Amino acid sequence: MSTKDKYAFVGVGLTKLGKIPDMTPDELAIQAINLALADAGMKPSEVDGYIYQQGIGGGLGDTMPLQMAGIPASLICQVASLGSYANMMVAMAICAMESGMAKTVLLVHAASAASRRGGGMMGGPPIASTPGAYGWYGPGATAACMAHRYMHLYGLKREQLGAIALTLREYANQRPDAIMRDKKITMDDYLNARMVVEPLCLLDFCLVNDGAVALIITSAERACNYKKKPVYVMGYGIDHSLRVMNKSPEAIHHFDGFVASKAKEEAFGTAGITVKDIDVAEMYDAFTIFLLSQLESYGICKKGEAGAFVEAGNLKLNGSFPSNTSGTGLSWGYLMGFTQLTEGIRQMRGEGGACQVKDAEICLVTGLGGMVDNGSAATCTILRR
Amino acid sequence: MPETKKQLPLVTESNKAFWEAARRHELVINKNGEWVKASGRGEVFTFCIYRQPFHPAWANDIPYNVAYVKLEEGSLLMTNIVDCENKDIYIGMPVEVVFDDINGEFTLPKFKPVK
Repeated sequence: MSTKDKYAFVGVGLTKLGKIPDMTPDELAIQAINLALADAGMKPSEVDGYIYQQGIGGGLGDTMPLQMAGIPASLICQVASLGSYANMMVAMAICAMESGMAKTVLLVHAASAASRRGGGMMGGPPIASTPGAYGWYGPGATAACMAHRYMHLYGLKREQLGAIALTLREYANQRPDAIMRDKKITMDDYLNARMVVEPLCLLDFCLVNDGAVALIITSAERACNYKKKPVYVMGYGIDHSLRVMNKSPEAIHHFDGFVASKAKEEAFGTAGITVKDIDVAEMYDAFTIFLLSQLESYGICKKGEAGAFVEAGNLKLNGSFPSNTSGTGLSWGYLMGFTQLTEGIRQMRGEGGACQVKDAEICLVTGLGGMVDNGSAATCTILRR
Repeated sequence: MPETKKQLPLVTESNKAFWEAARRHELVINKNGEWVKASGRGEVFTFCIYRQPFHPAWANDIPYNVAYVKLEEGSLLMTNIVDCENKDIYIGMPVEVVFDDINGEFTLPKFKPVK
């Protein structure tokens, strides 16, 4: 049975983004929850589902935010901290509501990535790790290896990755709540930026920040009772590179592109639309190369053509495929997949400010990040106003 | 402050045959549940160069490379390329296995360019 347009987002609550050392993830979450309830005009007692994700830096507790906000949720579930899970949480909330387990679900992400980062990745005791024995640390290496493959196969130029960084920064420069609002960059800045994991430089990497967001989703019938115009979920989809492991052992590392075809078929199939119907996209951008590659794995560009597509300005507000209109992970703020989902909802509400895509009706939101490696799960949600 | 050491490979029930073979300076791969000797030849599939340390034990190695080598048998293997400047590494470069005895207990298979 199709869930097309049966559920809608009615509340968005976003804290400040940046370095917020005097607030724990719990406190950030409570603030975001209260803002989302106020945004919807909803009483805490109306929420009965809570699915949450603690980002890098961790520390978001089980029920503390619920107690503080006075929410009597019966469905309480924590999911892994991966970039693909925001869209999976949408799918889980819809399944919970379809089954009658919950009527209104709160999706929360809270992180102290800037203030409370640490642990094994940055040092700590020398526990055994085969990648560590070869010096392989962090998801940036995956992205860098992917960029090298892309350069080898299709002649990708650094300027084309730079075009992504610049396009997103231009968006962020126009958004009051973007971390990089006041920091403009040029192509020279990009080309001269410090190398982190070659061939990727600092400006190819997403931001590392604190902050929280809470989103409220409920049935289309209930959605009409609240303050804001509902944003409907037309479809969602999930794919994982494990699915093709036997056919293509290389695919598990997704160095040659993401495995997203099943996610795309599911979401667009349910929605009954094609890529041509997308007015605005918010694509997961932990790294510039991730955004580039998804343009191909979702069929917006042919294989090998995304670099030129971006360089020609197609992702800009006046381009053929406006994307990542807040500046997203690279320049607005990194809340894993919630960065994209939040901006997607805002675009569908017409709350994009100077970066609002005119008359936009349908938005594609994507996420990446899975069990095998950063990027091994591809997820998407299609929203409409 | 205690000296920060590089991490050692994680040896488990399912991969110990690989590490035991490496100690004997043999490269083995798992083919349908059986460990068989690999040719030790392949080519660089992809690689990256670390310009900043993500783990303090690697600070003195900057810049260093990590690569995936595609063996003649088809498997992809994470490794380091040795006996070669970072700037000379390229995708498709023919390489062969060498064995780095990092301590009395462990040997890491690494790869060098075929001359």
